[in-house]
Amino acid sequence: MERIVMRTLRSTEAQMRVIETILASFIIVFALSFVNMFAIVPTSPKYELTDLEKMGYSALHDLDQNGLLASFIYNEEWENVTAALNVMLPVDLYFNMTVYDLDGTVVNNAKIFYGDQETFGASNNIASVTYVLVGYGATYKPRILILQLARG
Amino acid sequence: MRKLIKQKKGQFVIIAMLVIAIMIISIGALIHRTVTYYKHEPWEEYLTLIGNIELSSRRLVEISLANHTNGDNPNILKENLEKWQRNLTQIYLGYGVSLNCPSNEIICSWNNPTSFSSASANFTLNINSIGLTGYKFAAVALLKLSNTTNPLYSNQNKTWSINVTVTDENRNLTTLKKDNFQILINELEHENFTVVPQYFVNYTATSHKFFYRIECQGVMSDPSGGSGVTLQVWDQRGIKVTAKYS
Repeated sequence: MERIVMRTLRSTEAQMRVIETILASFIIVFALSFVNMFAIVPTSPKYELTDLEKMGYSALHDLDQNGLLASFIYNEEWENVTAALNVMLPVDLYFNMTVYDLDGTVVNNAKIFYGDQETFGASNNIASVTYVLVGYGATYKPRILILQLARG
Repeated sequence: MRKLIKQKKGQFVIIAMLVIAIMIISIGALIHRTVTYYKHEPWEEYLTLIGNIELSSRRLVEISLANHTNGDNPNILKENLEKWQRNLTQIYLGYGVSLNCPSNEIICSWNNPTSFSSASANFTLNINSIGLTGYKFAAVALLKLSNTTNPLYSNQNKTWSINVTVTDENRNLTTLKKDNFQILINELEHENFTVVPQYFVNYTATSHKFFYRIECQGVMSDPSGGSGVTLQVWDQRGIKVTAKYS
């Protein structure tokens, strides 16, 4: 047994084959990594919805903190709301927002929408964010914003 | 050195060591990735809800103060808070949201050289669906008007001037315009005035001060002999404060 092991250790044959195998392995690993960069990973419904909700809420919260959201909503500047959300959200994120009063009546008479209607309707992962505004100026007049988000 | 280069023994050992090193590095990278993997915390879903309620409650206090300082309703804060508590439960039906306000008040000290309007409320939030109990936060709204110089009347130029600072609960307000101010001289509205924002750097005291220089033109007599000058300021939220200089 010892003689076989020593013979194996001292053998000088097929060294290039071993090196070629190692090089081939490296090439395969690099090729797989390169292809992985372009692969579209299937989304996890649980994490995807949470991410969309966070993005939607962050956008609305930032606009509200800067005083823009209340100004646009209560002055019924629906185009400005759409433009502001377009700026705050990623380009591949489609959204649809509806503004309600306390009675459940829809307040926005114009659509606050961005994206492709078909993609929005067919998407499996649509997140919904509820955001409340209490009023504007010196008047208490709540508005409920329902923002729906989906990946394009 | 030549002997080393021509050496034909030990290649297998070298290759085996190389493979082992690669395996160790791969396992290390895998462990690092596992440790830093994103963990989904259910609490993060509810932080948005809590943040919204908190910001809206603060806005409510500001709206109530704006209403109170521009109108006559002394109970507006209490009324708005009661409505907000009821509506919140209705809006977030199913979440078990309960917002309590154990204390709230509006204090306005006007018609002094340094005057202020303020409102404050303490809240306790419970959300039964996520087991949140007793989350406390406070909301404060303030608008303060102070003079940094005494009022000065020039009989020769017929001008009355003063330097003032306007501060809210966080900072000195620096974006006010002439439209945010109103001046009454001897209880009559005086429209011929200018508001110039200025920034004074006092190198000796190492203090920086932002103020508004207000100058009224066409003041025929010294107002201090009469009813004095009333200065009213509104901030961007609509909150008003009134100071008086005799």
